[in-house]
Amino acid sequence: MNFKSNTIFVRLVKSLKSINRYILFILCLISLRFQQGPSSFDAVSKTKVLFIYGFTKNFEWPDEKKTDNFIIYVVGKNDNLVSELKKMAAVKKVGEQDIEIKNTTLVDNNINPHIVVFTSDNDPKTISELSSKMKSKGSLLISETTGGCKAGASLNFTYIESKLKFEYKEDAAKKAGLKTKEEFKKMAVKIID
Amino acid sequence: MILISATMLAQEDKLSRAQGLMTSDPGQALLIMDSVIQHPQTKNDFYTWTVRAYIYYELYKKTEKLKLHSAIRDSILSTIKTASELKPDSESFQSINRMYKSLSSGYKKIVKVLLEDSLNYEGSQEAFNNYKKLLLKVEPKHNFEADDIEYNLTVGSIFSNIFNEDNKKTKAGEIAKVALLKVLGMQPTNSSANLNLGLMYYNQAANLSKSLEYGADFTEIDAIQDNMIKLAKQSEKLIRSVYDNDNKNTKSILALYYIYRMLVDTPKFEEFKKKCKEMNLDIGENKPAATEENLNNPQNKDK
Repeated sequence: MNFKSNTIFVRLVKSLKSINRYILFILCLISLRFQQGPSSFDAVSKTKVLFIYGFTKNFEWPDEKKTDNFIIYVVGKNDNLVSELKKMAAVKKVGEQDIEIKNTTLVDNNINPHIVVFTSDNDPKTISELSSKMKSKGSLLISETTGGCKAGASLNFTYIESKLKFEYKEDAAKKAGLKTKEEFKKMAVKIID
Repeated sequence: MILISATMLAQEDKLSRAQGLMTSDPGQALLIMDSVIQHPQTKNDFYTWTVRAYIYYELYKKTEKLKLHSAIRDSILSTIKTASELKPDSESFQSINRMYKSLSSGYKKIVKVLLEDSLNYEGSQEAFNNYKKLLLKVEPKHNFEADDIEYNLTVGSIFSNIFNEDNKKTKAGEIAKVALLKVLGMQPTNSSANLNLGLMYYNQAANLSKSLEYGADFTEIDAIQDNMIKLAKQSEKLIRSVYDNDNKNTKSILALYYIYRMLVDTPKFEEFKKKCKEMNLDIGENKPAATEENLNNPQNKDK
Protein backbone atom coordinates (compact mmCIF):
# COMPACT_ATOMS: atom_id res chain seq x y z
CA MET A 1 0.00 0.00 0.00
CA ASN A 2 1.40 3.34 -1.03
CA PHE A 3 1.43 6.28 1.26
CA LYS A 4 -0.29 9.34 -0.02
CA SER A 5 1.32 11.14 2.84
CA ASN A 6 4.86 10.16 1.87
CA THR A 7 5.68 13.73 0.92
CA ILE A 8 4.46 14.83 4.32
CA PHE A 9 7.00 12.51 5.95
CA VAL A 10 9.84 13.90 3.86
CA ARG A 11 8.79 17.46 4.70
CA LEU A 12 8.46 16.52 8.32
CA VAL A 13 11.93 14.97 8.49
CA LYS A 14 13.48 18.01 6.81
CA SER A 15 11.79 20.38 9.19
CA LEU A 16 12.83 18.22 12.15
CA LYS A 17 16.46 18.34 11.07
CA SER A 18 16.36 22.13 10.96
CA ILE A 19 14.56 22.21 14.33
CA ASN A 20 17.34 20.06 15.82
CA ARG A 21 20.00 22.45 14.56
CA TYR A 22 18.00 25.36 15.92
CA ILE A 23 17.64 23.73 19.33
CA LEU A 24 21.36 22.93 19.48
CA PHE A 25 22.19 26.52 18.56
CA ILE A 26 19.81 27.92 21.18
CA LEU A 27 21.16 25.60 23.88
CA CYS A 28 24.70 26.72 23.07
CA LEU A 29 23.57 30.34 23.26
CA ILE A 30 21.91 29.77 26.64
CA SER A 31 25.01 28.08 27.88
CA LEU A 32 27.19 31.02 26.79
CA ARG A 33 24.73 33.67 27.94
CA PHE A 34 24.55 32.26 31.42
CA GLN A 35 28.29 31.92 31.87
CA GLN A 36 28.90 34.48 34.54
CA GLY A 37 32.23 36.14 35.13
CA PRO A 38 34.21 36.24 38.35
CA SER A 39 33.13 38.64 41.05
CA SER A 40 35.41 41.68 41.17
CA PHE A 41 34.64 42.05 44.87
CA ASP A 42 37.87 42.48 46.84
CA ALA A 43 37.45 40.06 49.74
CA VAL A 44 40.89 40.85 51.15
CA SER A 45 40.05 44.55 51.50
CA LYS A 46 36.74 43.63 53.11
CA THR A 47 38.55 41.38 55.60
CA LYS A 48 40.94 44.20 56.47
CA VAL A 49 37.99 46.51 57.10
CA LEU A 50 36.35 43.86 59.30
CA PHE A 51 39.57 43.70 61.31
CA ILE A 52 39.87 47.49 61.50
CA TYR A 53 36.31 47.82 62.75
CA GLY A 54 37.08 45.03 65.22
CA PHE A 55 40.06 47.04 66.46
CA THR A 56 37.80 50.03 67.21
CA LYS A 57 35.91 47.79 69.61
CA ASN A 58 39.01 46.48 71.31
CA PHE A 59 40.87 49.73 71.93
CA GLU A 60 39.94 52.71 74.04
CA TRP A 61 40.96 56.13 72.79
CA PRO A 62 41.81 59.04 75.10
CA ASP A 63 38.88 61.21 76.23
CA GLU A 64 39.98 64.16 74.10
CA LYS A 65 39.48 61.98 71.03
CA LYS A 66 35.94 60.98 71.91
CA THR A 67 34.38 64.03 70.31
CA ASP A 68 33.91 64.92 66.64
CA ASN A 69 34.27 62.31 63.95
CA PHE A 70 36.29 59.14 64.32
CA ILE A 71 38.90 59.53 61.61
CA ILE A 72 40.43 56.57 59.81
CA TYR A 73 43.27 57.84 57.70
CA VAL A 74 44.68 55.70 54.88
CA VAL A 75 48.21 56.59 53.80
CA GLY A 76 49.08 55.25 50.36
CA LYS A 77 47.17 53.92 47.39
CA ASN A 78 44.55 51.22 47.81
CA ASP A 79 41.27 52.24 46.21
CA ASN A 80 39.47 49.05 47.14
CA LEU A 81 40.38 49.39 50.80
CA VAL A 82 39.28 53.04 50.89
CA SER A 83 36.05 52.14 49.14
CA GLU A 84 35.33 49.33 51.62
CA LEU A 85 36.15 51.59 54.56
CA LYS A 86 33.71 54.18 53.24
CA LYS A 87 31.01 51.54 52.93
CA MET A 88 31.61 50.60 56.55
CA ALA A 89 31.66 54.26 57.63
CA ALA A 90 28.27 54.77 55.99
CA VAL A 91 26.59 52.26 58.30
CA LYS A 92 28.69 52.10 61.46
CA LYS A 93 29.80 54.36 64.31
CA VAL A 94 32.47 54.12 66.96
CA GLY A 95 30.58 54.76 70.17
CA GLU A 96 28.69 57.95 69.39
CA GLN A 97 31.17 59.11 66.80
CA ASP A 98 30.56 59.04 63.07
CA ILE A 99 33.36 57.47 61.10
CA GLU A 100 35.18 59.59 58.53
CA ILE A 101 37.60 58.16 56.00
CA LYS A 102 40.53 60.18 54.71
CA ASN A 103 43.10 59.12 52.19
CA THR A 104 46.28 60.69 50.86
CA THR A 105 49.14 59.12 49.00
CA LEU A 106 51.76 60.89 51.12
CA VAL A 107 51.52 61.65 54.83
CA ASP A 108 49.54 64.80 55.65
CA ASN A 109 50.58 66.06 59.09
CA ASN A 110 47.50 68.26 59.40
CA ILE A 111 45.25 65.26 59.82
CA ASN A 112 44.63 64.15 63.40
CA PRO A 113 43.39 60.60 62.99
CA HIS A 114 42.20 57.93 65.39
CA ILE A 115 43.56 55.20 63.16
CA VAL A 116 46.25 55.40 60.50
CA VAL A 117 46.34 52.58 57.97
CA PHE A 118 49.54 52.36 55.97
CA THR A 119 49.00 50.52 52.72
CA SER A 120 51.53 47.91 51.67
CA ASP A 121 53.37 50.37 49.40
CA ASN A 122 54.68 52.26 52.45
CA ASP A 123 58.18 51.43 53.61
CA PRO A 124 59.13 51.06 57.28
CA LYS A 125 60.86 54.46 57.16
CA THR A 126 57.58 56.29 56.49
CA ILE A 127 55.93 54.37 59.33
CA SER A 128 58.81 55.15 61.65
CA GLU A 129 58.71 58.86 60.87
CA LEU A 130 54.98 59.16 61.41
CA SER A 131 55.00 57.06 64.58
CA SER A 132 57.57 59.45 66.11
CA LYS A 133 55.33 62.40 65.37
CA MET A 134 52.20 60.64 66.59
CA LYS A 135 53.46 59.63 70.04
CA SER A 136 50.79 60.18 72.73
CA LYS A 137 48.40 61.60 70.18
CA GLY A 138 45.92 58.78 70.47
CA SER A 139 46.43 57.31 67.03
CA LEU A 140 46.44 53.59 66.35
CA LEU A 141 48.96 52.89 63.61
CA ILE A 142 48.31 49.86 61.41
CA SER A 143 50.77 48.78 58.77
CA GLU A 144 51.01 46.04 56.17
CA THR A 145 54.75 45.79 55.76
CA THR A 146 57.31 43.33 57.02
CA GLY A 147 58.77 44.91 60.15
CA GLY A 148 55.84 47.32 60.43
CA CYS A 149 55.54 46.90 64.20
CA LYS A 150 59.29 47.29 64.67
CA ALA A 151 59.04 50.53 62.72
CA GLY A 152 56.47 51.83 65.19
CA ALA A 153 53.05 50.53 64.16
CA SER A 154 50.91 49.05 66.91
CA LEU A 155 49.40 46.49 64.55
CA ASN A 156 50.73 44.94 61.38
CA PHE A 157 48.69 42.93 58.88
CA THR A 158 50.32 39.74 57.77
CA TYR A 159 49.26 36.66 55.82
CA ILE A 160 49.62 33.06 56.87
CA GLU A 161 48.61 30.54 54.20
CA SER A 162 46.46 33.17 52.48
CA LYS A 163 44.74 34.15 55.73
CA LEU A 164 44.86 37.68 57.00
CA LYS A 165 46.24 37.90 60.54
CA PHE A 166 47.76 40.65 62.59
CA GLU A 167 50.83 41.19 64.72
CA TYR A 168 50.57 43.33 67.81
CA LYS A 169 53.05 45.59 69.55
CA GLU A 170 51.55 46.50 72.89
CA ASP A 171 54.25 48.97 73.73
CA ALA A 172 53.51 51.08 70.64
CA ALA A 173 49.81 51.19 71.47
CA LYS A 174 50.55 52.26 75.06
CA LYS A 175 52.91 54.98 73.87
CA ALA A 176 50.14 56.25 71.59
CA GLY A 177 47.91 56.59 74.66
CA LEU A 178 45.59 53.71 73.80
CA LYS A 179 44.21 51.13 76.17
CA THR A 180 43.12 47.62 75.36
CA LYS A 181 41.95 44.51 77.12
CA GLU A 182 44.42 41.79 77.95
CA GLU A 183 42.44 39.23 75.89
CA PHE A 184 43.11 41.19 72.74
CA LYS A 185 46.67 39.86 72.73
CA LYS A 186 45.32 36.34 72.21
CA MET A 187 43.83 37.40 68.89
CA ALA A 188 47.20 38.40 67.49
CA VAL A 189 49.23 35.88 65.55
CA LYS A 190 52.41 37.33 67.00
CA ILE A 191 53.29 39.70 69.80
CA ILE A 192 56.17 42.00 68.91
CA ASP A 193 58.37 43.10 71.78
CA MET B 1 -18.88 -9.62 -2.64
CA ILE B 2 -20.34 -6.40 -3.98
CA LEU B 3 -21.32 -5.40 -0.44
CA ILE B 4 -17.84 -6.15 0.93
CA SER B 5 -16.25 -4.20 -1.90
CA ALA B 6 -18.60 -1.30 -1.32
CA THR B 7 -17.77 -1.24 2.42
CA MET B 8 -14.09 -1.43 1.64
CA LEU B 9 -14.36 1.43 -0.77
CA ALA B 10 -16.29 3.41 1.80
CA GLN B 11 -13.49 2.92 4.33
CA GLU B 12 -10.84 3.90 1.78
CA ASP B 13 -12.90 6.94 0.91
CA LYS B 14 -13.03 7.89 4.58
CA LEU B 15 -9.30 7.35 4.85
CA SER B 16 -8.74 9.51 1.83
CA ARG B 17 -10.96 12.27 3.25
CA ALA B 18 -9.17 12.08 6.56
CA GLN B 19 -5.81 12.47 4.83
CA GLY B 20 -7.15 15.44 2.91
CA LEU B 21 -8.22 17.10 6.13
CA MET B 22 -5.04 16.14 8.00
CA THR B 23 -3.44 19.58 7.93
CA SER B 24 -6.45 21.85 7.43
CA ASP B 25 -8.77 20.29 10.01
CA PRO B 26 -7.07 17.54 11.98
CA GLY B 27 -9.92 17.45 14.52
CA GLN B 28 -12.40 16.50 11.85
CA ALA B 29 -9.92 14.10 10.25
CA LEU B 30 -9.53 12.36 13.58
CA LEU B 31 -13.29 11.88 13.96
CA ILE B 32 -13.33 10.15 10.59
CA MET B 33 -10.32 8.03 11.49
CA ASP B 34 -11.88 6.93 14.75
CA SER B 35 -14.62 5.24 12.77
CA VAL B 36 -12.09 3.74 10.31
CA ILE B 37 -9.98 2.15 13.04
CA GLN B 38 -13.09 0.60 14.57
CA HIS B 39 -14.24 -0.96 11.32
CA PRO B 40 -13.50 -4.71 11.21
CA GLN B 41 -12.01 -4.46 7.72
CA THR B 42 -9.54 -1.69 8.54
CA LYS B 43 -8.91 -1.98 12.27
CA ASN B 44 -6.01 -4.37 11.73
CA ASP B 45 -4.41 -2.35 8.95
CA PHE B 46 -1.13 -0.77 10.00
CA TYR B 47 -1.60 1.92 7.37
CA THR B 48 -4.87 3.06 9.00
CA TRP B 49 -3.16 3.35 12.36
CA THR B 50 -0.18 5.19 10.92
CA VAL B 51 -2.40 7.73 9.21
CA ARG B 52 -4.27 8.16 12.48
CA ALA B 53 -0.96 8.78 14.24
CA TYR B 54 -0.07 11.47 11.70
CA ILE B 55 -3.39 13.17 12.15
CA TYR B 56 -2.78 13.22 15.88
CA TYR B 57 0.66 14.60 15.14
CA GLU B 58 -0.85 17.49 13.15
CA LEU B 59 -3.12 18.24 16.07
CA TYR B 60 -0.25 17.95 18.52
CA LYS B 61 1.90 20.36 16.49
CA LYS B 62 -0.84 22.95 16.66
CA THR B 63 -1.77 22.68 20.31
CA GLU B 64 0.49 20.64 22.56
CA LYS B 65 3.95 20.57 21.08
CA LEU B 66 5.49 22.39 24.01
CA LYS B 67 3.59 20.56 26.72
CA LEU B 68 5.57 18.22 28.90
CA HIS B 69 2.48 16.16 29.57
CA SER B 70 0.34 15.87 26.47
CA ALA B 71 -2.65 13.57 26.05
CA ILE B 72 -2.35 13.95 22.27
CA ARG B 73 1.29 12.85 22.36
CA ASP B 74 0.26 9.86 24.44
CA SER B 75 -2.36 9.03 21.79
CA ILE B 76 0.26 9.29 19.04
CA LEU B 77 2.52 6.93 20.95
CA SER B 78 -0.19 4.39 21.62
CA THR B 79 -1.30 4.64 17.97
CA ILE B 80 2.16 4.08 16.53
CA LYS B 81 2.67 1.26 19.00
CA THR B 82 -0.41 -0.44 17.56
CA ALA B 83 0.79 0.28 14.03
CA SER B 84 4.17 -1.28 14.87
CA GLU B 85 2.50 -4.40 16.23
CA LEU B 86 0.56 -4.87 12.98
CA LYS B 87 3.75 -5.84 11.13
CA PRO B 88 4.12 -2.79 8.94
CA ASP B 89 5.99 -2.95 5.65
CA SER B 90 9.42 -1.39 5.47
CA GLU B 91 8.16 1.99 4.29
CA SER B 92 5.64 2.15 7.11
CA PHE B 93 8.24 0.97 9.57
CA GLN B 94 10.53 3.81 8.56
CA SER B 95 7.66 6.26 8.81
CA ILE B 96 6.91 5.08 12.33
CA ASN B 97 10.55 5.52 13.23
CA ARG B 98 10.47 9.06 11.86
CA MET B 99 7.47 9.69 14.06
CA TYR B 100 9.36 8.49 17.12
CA LYS B 101 12.25 10.72 16.15
CA SER B 102 10.02 13.74 15.71
CA LEU B 103 8.45 13.23 19.12
CA SER B 104 11.85 12.70 20.62
CA SER B 105 13.05 16.01 19.12
CA GLY B 106 9.92 17.65 20.45
CA TYR B 107 10.95 16.63 23.96
CA LYS B 108 14.34 18.21 23.37
CA LYS B 109 12.67 21.47 22.55
CA ILE B 110 10.61 21.17 25.73
CA VAL B 111 13.85 20.76 27.68
CA LYS B 112 14.97 24.15 26.42
CA VAL B 113 11.65 25.82 27.20
CA LEU B 114 11.46 24.35 30.70
CA LEU B 115 14.99 25.41 31.52
CA GLU B 116 14.97 28.84 29.94
CA ASP B 117 11.44 30.01 30.61
CA SER B 118 10.49 28.41 33.88
CA LEU B 119 13.77 27.11 35.37
CA ASN B 120 11.95 23.83 35.86
CA TYR B 121 14.83 21.43 36.39
CA GLU B 122 12.74 18.40 37.35
CA GLY B 123 10.49 18.92 34.32
CA SER B 124 13.48 19.34 32.02
CA GLN B 125 14.96 16.11 33.37
CA GLU B 126 11.71 14.28 32.64
CA ALA B 127 11.60 15.72 29.12
CA PHE B 128 15.26 14.88 28.55
CA ASN B 129 14.75 11.29 29.69
CA ASN B 130 11.72 10.99 27.42
CA TYR B 131 13.79 12.36 24.55
CA LYS B 132 16.30 9.60 25.13
CA LYS B 133 13.66 6.92 25.65
CA LEU B 134 11.94 7.67 22.34
CA LEU B 135 15.17 7.97 20.40
CA LEU B 136 16.28 4.59 21.74
CA LYS B 137 13.23 3.02 20.11
CA VAL B 138 14.66 4.04 16.74
CA GLU B 139 18.36 3.89 17.52
CA PRO B 140 18.86 1.31 20.28
CA LYS B 141 22.62 1.82 20.23
CA HIS B 142 22.53 5.60 20.19
CA ASN B 143 25.35 7.13 22.24
CA PHE B 144 23.93 9.91 24.36
CA GLU B 145 27.19 11.24 25.75
CA ALA B 146 27.14 14.39 23.61
CA ASP B 147 23.50 15.02 24.56
CA ASP B 148 24.23 14.41 28.23
CA ILE B 149 27.13 16.84 28.14
CA GLU B 150 25.12 19.47 26.32
CA TYR B 151 22.14 19.11 28.66
CA ASN B 152 24.16 19.12 31.86
CA LEU B 153 26.25 22.06 30.70
CA THR B 154 23.10 24.05 30.06
CA VAL B 155 21.65 23.10 33.44
CA GLY B 156 24.97 23.89 35.10
CA SER B 157 25.25 27.28 33.42
CA ILE B 158 21.70 28.37 34.22
CA PHE B 159 21.61 27.21 37.81
CA SER B 160 25.15 28.30 38.67
CA ASN B 161 24.14 31.76 37.51
CA ILE B 162 21.17 31.73 39.88
CA PHE B 163 23.36 30.53 42.72
CA ASN B 164 26.10 33.06 41.96
CA GLU B 165 23.58 35.86 42.19
CA ASP B 166 22.13 34.64 45.46
CA ASN B 167 24.03 32.04 47.45
CA LYS B 168 20.98 31.47 49.62
CA LYS B 169 19.49 29.60 46.67
CA THR B 170 21.34 26.48 47.68
CA LYS B 171 19.04 24.16 45.70
CA ALA B 172 20.11 25.91 42.50
CA GLY B 173 23.73 25.59 43.62
CA GLU B 174 23.35 21.87 44.20
CA ILE B 175 21.62 21.33 40.85
CA ALA B 176 24.42 23.22 39.08
CA LYS B 177 27.19 21.37 40.91
CA VAL B 178 25.68 17.95 40.23
CA ALA B 179 25.16 18.80 36.55
CA LEU B 180 28.67 20.20 36.07
CA LEU B 181 30.27 17.29 37.94
CA LYS B 182 28.38 14.92 35.64
CA VAL B 183 29.95 16.68 32.67
CA LEU B 184 33.39 16.44 34.25
CA GLY B 185 32.76 12.77 34.96
CA MET B 186 32.24 12.21 31.24
CA GLN B 187 34.76 14.75 29.99
CA PRO B 188 37.27 15.83 32.67
CA THR B 189 38.83 18.50 30.47
CA ASN B 190 35.58 20.15 29.43
CA SER B 191 36.54 23.80 29.68
CA SER B 192 33.01 25.10 30.06
CA ALA B 193 32.24 22.80 33.00
CA ASN B 194 35.60 23.49 34.66
CA LEU B 195 35.13 27.22 34.22
CA ASN B 196 31.54 27.28 35.42
CA LEU B 197 32.21 25.14 38.46
CA GLY B 198 35.37 27.09 39.23
CA LEU B 199 33.50 30.38 38.98
CA MET B 200 30.79 29.01 41.23
CA TYR B 201 33.33 28.20 43.93
CA TYR B 202 35.14 31.52 43.54
CA ASN B 203 31.97 33.62 43.52
CA GLN B 204 30.71 31.68 46.52
CA ALA B 205 33.93 32.61 48.33
CA ALA B 206 33.50 36.28 47.36
CA ASN B 207 29.89 36.22 48.50
CA LEU B 208 30.87 34.72 51.85
CA SER B 209 33.04 37.77 52.42
CA LYS B 210 30.38 40.15 51.10
CA SER B 211 27.77 38.75 53.44
CA LEU B 212 29.93 39.09 56.53
CA GLU B 213 28.67 42.01 58.59
CA TYR B 214 30.85 44.69 60.11
CA GLY B 215 31.07 43.88 63.76
CA ALA B 216 31.80 40.18 63.25
CA ASP B 217 34.23 38.99 65.89
CA PHE B 218 37.73 37.81 65.05
CA THR B 219 36.81 34.13 65.48
CA GLU B 220 33.98 34.46 62.98
CA ILE B 221 36.20 36.30 60.51
CA ASP B 222 38.76 33.53 60.90
CA ALA B 223 36.21 30.81 60.14
CA ILE B 224 34.92 32.67 57.09
CA GLN B 225 38.47 33.13 55.84
CA ASP B 226 39.04 29.38 56.15
CA ASN B 227 35.99 28.66 53.99
CA MET B 228 36.86 31.36 51.49
CA ILE B 229 40.37 30.02 51.01
CA LYS B 230 39.14 26.45 50.68
CA LEU B 231 36.68 27.52 47.97
CA ALA B 232 39.24 29.71 46.21
CA LYS B 233 41.70 26.81 46.08
CA GLN B 234 39.04 24.48 44.64
CA SER B 235 38.25 27.16 42.10
CA GLU B 236 41.92 27.69 41.24
CA LYS B 237 42.38 23.99 40.48
CA LEU B 238 39.45 23.89 38.05
CA ILE B 239 40.13 27.18 36.31
CA ARG B 240 43.85 26.57 36.14
CA SER B 241 43.12 23.40 34.12
CA VAL B 242 41.21 25.53 31.61
CA TYR B 243 44.10 27.98 31.39
CA ASP B 244 46.66 25.19 31.07
CA ASN B 245 44.76 23.81 28.08
CA ASP B 246 44.34 27.21 26.48
CA ASN B 247 46.52 30.05 27.75
CA LYS B 248 44.56 32.56 25.66
CA ASN B 249 41.28 31.81 27.37
CA THR B 250 40.34 35.28 28.63
CA LYS B 251 37.72 34.07 31.11
CA SER B 252 40.20 31.81 32.84
CA ILE B 253 42.87 34.56 32.88
CA LEU B 254 40.51 37.08 34.43
CA ALA B 255 39.23 34.53 36.96
CA LEU B 256 42.76 33.51 37.96
CA TYR B 257 43.69 37.16 38.49
CA TYR B 258 40.85 37.50 41.03
CA ILE B 259 41.50 34.08 42.60
CA TYR B 260 45.19 34.82 43.20
CA ARG B 261 44.24 38.19 44.63
CA MET B 262 41.92 36.41 47.07
CA LEU B 263 44.62 33.87 47.93
CA VAL B 264 47.13 36.71 48.36
CA ASP B 265 49.51 34.85 46.08
CA THR B 266 51.39 37.96 45.04
CA PRO B 267 53.72 36.51 42.35
CA LYS B 268 50.86 34.74 40.55
CA PHE B 269 48.55 37.71 41.09
CA GLU B 270 51.10 39.99 39.42
CA GLU B 271 51.62 37.46 36.60
CA PHE B 272 47.90 37.37 35.79
CA LYS B 273 47.51 41.11 36.29
CA LYS B 274 50.10 41.54 33.56
CA LYS B 275 48.30 39.04 31.32
CA CYS B 276 44.99 40.85 31.86
CA LYS B 277 46.58 44.15 30.88
CA GLU B 278 48.20 42.60 27.80
CA MET B 279 44.82 41.28 26.73
CA ASN B 280 43.00 44.51 27.60
CA LEU B 281 40.81 42.78 30.16
CA ASP B 282 38.92 45.00 32.54
CA ILE B 283 40.22 44.27 36.02
CA GLY B 284 38.39 47.17 37.61
CA GLU B 285 41.46 49.03 38.77
CA ASN B 286 41.02 52.58 40.02
CA LYS B 287 37.32 52.19 39.94
CA PRO B 288 35.59 55.13 41.61
CA ALA B 289 34.72 54.73 45.21
CA ALA B 290 31.07 54.72 46.17
CA THR B 291 29.49 58.13 45.84
CA GLU B 292 29.80 60.62 48.65
CA GLU B 293 26.05 61.06 48.98
CA ASN B 294 25.62 57.35 49.58
CA LEU B 295 28.52 57.09 51.92
CA ASN B 296 27.74 60.08 54.06
CA ASN B 297 24.14 59.14 54.55
CA PRO B 298 23.85 58.94 58.34
CA GLN B 299 20.59 57.01 58.23
CA ASN B 300 20.50 53.68 59.95
CA LYS B 301 23.93 54.08 61.38
CA ASP B 302 24.50 51.86 64.36
CA LYS B 303 27.06 51.85 67.05
